[in-house]
Amino acid sequence: MFDTALTANDLVFLAKGAGITILVTAISVIIGTLLGILFGVIRVQLGPIWSAPLTFVLDIFRSVPLLIQLVLGNAFVGMVLQLQISGFTVACIVLSLYTSAYCAEIVRGGIDAVPEITRRAARSLGLTWGQDMRYIVLPLATRVALPSWIGLALGVMKDSALVYVVQVTELLKSTQILITRLQEPLFLLLICGAFYFVISFPLARFGGYLEKRWSND
Amino acid sequence: MFDYTFQWKQAFNRLPQMLDGALVTMEIAVLSMALGIALAILLTIFRLSGSRPLMAFATTWVEIARNTPALFQIYMAHFGVASFGIHFSPFVSILIGITFNNAGYLTENFRGALKAIPDTQTRAGRSLGLTQLQSFRYIIAPQMLRISFLPMTNQMVWAILMTSLGVTVGMNSDLYGVTQDLNALTFRTFELFALAAVIFYLITKTITLGGRLIAARLFRY
Amino acid sequence: MKKTALFAALLGMTSIAGTAQADKLDDIISSGTLRCAVVLDFPPMGMRDANNVPIGFDVDYCNDLAAALGVEAEIVETPFPERIPALMSGRVDVGVASTSDTLERAKTVGFSIPYFAFEMAVTANSGTGITSYEGMKGHTVGAVAGTYEAIALEAQVKEWGEGEFRPYQTQADVFLALSQGQLDATVSTSTVAQANVQSGNYKDISVVGFAPFDTDYVALFAKRDEYGFLNYLNLFVNQQVRTGRYDELYEKWVGGEVPKLVVPNTYR
Repeated sequence: MFDTALTANDLVFLAKGAGITILVTAISVIIGTLLGILFGVIRVQLGPIWSAPLTFVLDIFRSVPLLIQLVLGNAFVGMVLQLQISGFTVACIVLSLYTSAYCAEIVRGGIDAVPEITRRAARSLGLTWGQDMRYIVLPLATRVALPSWIGLALGVMKDSALVYVVQVTELLKSTQILITRLQEPLFLLLICGAFYFVISFPLARFGGYLEKRWSND
Repeated sequence: MFDYTFQWKQAFNRLPQMLDGALVTMEIAVLSMALGIALAILLTIFRLSGSRPLMAFATTWVEIARNTPALFQIYMAHFGVASFGIHFSPFVSILIGITFNNAGYLTENFRGALKAIPDTQTRAGRSLGLTQLQSFRYIIAPQMLRISFLPMTNQMVWAILMTSLGVTVGMNSDLYGVTQDLNALTFRTFELFALAAVIFYLITKTITLGGRLIAARLFRY
Repeated sequence: MKKTALFAALLGMTSIAGTAQADKLDDIISSGTLRCAVVLDFPPMGMRDANNVPIGFDVDYCNDLAAALGVEAEIVETPFPERIPALMSGRVDVGVASTSDTLERAKTVGFSIPYFAFEMAVTANSGTGITSYEGMKGHTVGAVAGTYEAIALEAQVKEWGEGEFRPYQTQADVFLALSQGQLDATVSTSTVAQANVQSGNYKDISVVGFAPFDTDYVALFAKRDEYGFLNYLNLFVNQQVRTGRYDELYEKWVGGEVPKLVVPNTYR
């Protein structure tokens, strides 16, 4: 099984795919998190009724398969708007919105976890809304939200395997291309799986550790 | 600017076929959840068993399921294991892939739920004269169900969304597969997939709301 | 800021309203690159060499077209189901992707005259004992989702009333499934079947006969309202045959008797 026709060239090819996976993930997680924080705070501030339209839109991203979001995003941008942007950009836009939808939930949960009474105490001490958010809510909410956020970021990395559908050659697609030529599906799939695992596992463990540590005090 | 002409009629004409696909999608999701829960219970027992090989087996399963893409797991279930001469039809492949994923995530949920229930409750049950099994059945299990019910409905939603990956292993009877086939025939990509998205949205909303209603009835106290 | 946006919008509107708008052909020539949609897991039409660089009949054809236009060629890999979306979204200028010119598709895109013609062949896994097209009855068969042969084969399986049809996303997945024994047989273009069997990549598969489907004429495609460009493509295909380049490429990638691109007793 390990007597393989895989060349150094092919490993570089795989590494390139892995690089794309990481790049798409990094861009989407950063933009998605910023948007998610914005949406999450808006939702908390406006309350459930006034933020209903936003909630509805974000909900769509969590209720429709990512594959369909990508295909639709691609078709909409290209066929309807006739914009000439690359599949990579489409992938990043869709994944960012997808991330922001989940992140908004996490942020909302984090803010809600800060006791109302603590915040009222802060405000009655003369802190402005901004100061309250910065010095009271942020540190407390982060403890609740960070472990889930790590889970989300890793989830986005795994879900980025679907961007092949808009012609982005990420890790799994590179693996499939090599399978076409080398016909060693099991071996190549194992390499590909191991890569995801090596990145995801330690970070997931770290998230679990933070969760455990912070929930005890 | 918008010189694209929408042809929604072409998509709506295919609605019956797509709804048939939606049924298959739900079938896969329901089966994979039922099997996933059963396996997750088994894996949880393995984890609590104290036997090293069983614990290692459960941990390996959970970590692979949680740390690799679902698409990878499904592709593996079809093309990967075929290297050993084991062949699964597309339906079985996607079912195995999603079940594997469900079981991994649910085991982790169950673990969290178990941890949230203090040991002392079992001991209290025992001192009231219940057997170990009885105290699990009447004291721990109901609370576990309550804690992990919401994550379970979430997992069900994910199972629905994951069925869309079946096309990579040759499925074309599920909602995504049907939509893709229709797209190949007519090239009305946007209209067809938008319709599919609406159907997916309705299915997942029904599950989420249904889950909430059930939870409200079951856990009223 | 607002003023600039307004100005830009006005400018945009006037340029749309203006009659002297450059068409696709002009755009390609002035941009200096021709972006071709090519399917790269479809040997010998499109594939990758040992350095994962695209090669094949369609790749050469695209390069010829670019040379004729005096621009650089850019090969954009597109899986079969993504060919038309890639064109509609403006990610590519032209499809050189072995695309069957069906009437259903022509409602969405514009086709040139045929530039290649395929016969359909049956390839079977040796273990199954399938020796002909009819022999596939009752077996598990497959083809690439959304292709001419997949649509015909699925209809045939339905008509037989037994057996199973499975569409895979790529030609590579079909042959992988076939050699793994997940599929008993497949129908594909004979050139693709020959190339895959001869590649030696796949064990235990052989071409067992022809499928009685109509000859599959494939054409270049572009946006259906780009008449100027489509005209150019028609002439280009004609020139390729006239100058002997078509025969040359056929010999290089396929070999054997060159298929005729004209349909008897009709125009075009």
